[in-house]
Amino acid sequence: MKSVIFGRYSNYNTPIHRIDPRVKIIGMIVFMVAIFLPLTKVGSTSQYEINMSTATNFIILGIIFLIQLILMLIGRISFISIFKSMKTMWFFLFLIFLLNILIPTNPTAEQTAFNLGTLAISYSAIFSTAYVFVRLVLVVMITSVVTSTTKPMELTFGIEWLLYPLKFVKIPVHEIGMIISLALRYIPTLMEESERIMKSQASRGVDFKNGKFKEKFKSITSLIVPLFMSSFIKASDLADTMEARGYDPKAKRTRYRMLSWRWVDTLWLIVIAIFLGLIIAQCVIGTNYMLLLMNII
Amino acid sequence: MQKKKNEVKTTNDHPDYSKYAVVFDNVSFFYNENTPTLKNISFKIEKGQYVALIGHNGSGKSTLARLIIGILIQLSGDIYINNELMTDDTAIELRKKIGIVFQNPDNQFIGSTVRDDIAFSLENMCVKSELMEDLIKEYAAKVNMLDFLDSEPSNLSGGQKQRVAIAGTLIRNPDILILDEATAMLDPKGKREIFNLIHKMKDENPNLTVISITHEIDEAYRADKIIVLNDGEIFMEGTPSEVFSHPDELSKISLDIPFFSKLSMELKGISKDVSNVKSMEDLIKVLCQ
Ligand SMILES: Nc1ncnc2c1ncn2[C@@H]1O[C@H](COP(=O)(O)OP(=O)(O)O)[C@@H](O)[C@H]1O
Ligand SMILES: [Mg+2]
Repeated sequence: MKSVIFGRYSNYNTPIHRIDPRVKIIGMIVFMVAIFLPLTKVGSTSQYEINMSTATNFIILGIIFLIQLILMLIGRISFISIFKSMKTMWFFLFLIFLLNILIPTNPTAEQTAFNLGTLAISYSAIFSTAYVFVRLVLVVMITSVVTSTTKPMELTFGIEWLLYPLKFVKIPVHEIGMIISLALRYIPTLMEESERIMKSQASRGVDFKNGKFKEKFKSITSLIVPLFMSSFIKASDLADTMEARGYDPKAKRTRYRMLSWRWVDTLWLIVIAIFLGLIIAQCVIGTNYMLLLMNII
Repeated sequence: MQKKKNEVKTTNDHPDYSKYAVVFDNVSFFYNENTPTLKNISFKIEKGQYVALIGHNGSGKSTLARLIIGILIQLSGDIYINNELMTDDTAIELRKKIGIVFQNPDNQFIGSTVRDDIAFSLENMCVKSELMEDLIKEYAAKVNMLDFLDSEPSNLSGGQKQRVAIAGTLIRNPDILILDEATAMLDPKGKREIFNLIHKMKDENPNLTVISITHEIDEAYRADKIIVLNDGEIFMEGTPSEVFSHPDELSKISLDIPFFSKLSMELKGISKDVSNVKSMEDLIKVLCQ
């Protein structure tokens, strides 16, 4: 049950663990931008150009993969957890592959990879799917790096700090932070609770594993309804407790945990900025530059 | 009762309740109009008293506790906390001097670790960050949780979680501590630990008023005063020996009396005088003399 949440915090003390959460969040966003930046030039006509930009994309993604691999090794993130969190994505990948195949492109003979009965499967269908797959793996990797090296509490503080400017447009940033940290706090509790309910329902003869869709739906309902009930009770108890301990969302509060910025964090931030600069630069001139390079060779 | 001359705060005219921590004057409350939850409740709890509130499930004990801390506001009648009237406006201020520990250990753990949970109270009190660490350690030590400061709630027992809740409550330095069935979900060992802790706190700070809502009859016997609630009304009120000398009436509302009081009542006339004993141990001691 616990494996559902990918990248649970692992209690090591690596250089990645010690980075300020704000830097890690910014870094994660930059990596995501790099991963999802569309590099294929729109309107490219020549097949050669398209092939080149596809190749460039894979090279860039390969570089990102290598960097993230190094980060994972430094942060001592288990590779098994990455595989586990990929588990739910296979279905989507298959769906994407199916869509790519079924979109009629009528590939010419040289664009066709192989024939599946009457269906011609083009290289581009395979590439697009592979492209999505690689991107997904990279996203899972980078989020795992952040979530398994940062305590949920610190992550919340980081998010809250970064959202601070939104306060001036009347967005209740502090409340959002409190909501996130309470949600994170109660995930394990709700997991235990649902396990408990499942066991007690199973002892009454509810079968969660077998049966037709309708029966499965019924047994899931027997989990969901009590879980909702108990969550509401929990929420109301929690609200009472918070109020009784003097919590007032509108009032000023002090902070127990402070984020402390160290010079290494500045260094990391500079590295991230350089990385972002390179990504943008190669996005602007990248494809042409690569073409030029290839021509010279 | 005499009235102090320099009394400025009490705008409305009410008797001097400065002796009392909690006064209920004809208080009624309902969640839904057709079924009153509390009907014309009146009682007084002196400062520093240890009061047990007993009654069967649904008799309105938790509702009464929520009225005392002002999470709910009475619909009629007056509630005075430390001689000040409880209203919507004064609730937040008056609540600062009241602490409450609820029944479910999981539902009142706010922080992600023991440290953070105790700190939550300090953050609300606007204590300076530099001062927090020492205070957290001091109160964690008081409840014997110093070795678990970085533990997460899922790795703690129910009793440990309740002790953290007590630390988070006591750190606010309340005059009044309410326990709303705080031990109901604990095993016997956990129960004993909590009650011993509360009695220790009470010994250290005689001015602390404790209101213990409980089904533990033996525990209720250790109180200075017992209030028995039945269907939203006060059924009986008095010292433990007074209350438990009416076993027939209590059994009518399906409440039991402690085993040793039963025993000492049966022993009346056949044995030594055992009418004053306060616990099983005392009874054995007297009988073995
Ligand atoms: N939030 C609520 N809304 C409606 N009715 C409630 C609520 N809380 C309690 N009650 C009802 O009020 C009565 C007293 O409840 P409560 O004070 O919790 O009793 P006790 O703590 O003695 O078990 C019960 O009948 C209960 O159903
Ligand atoms: Mg109750």
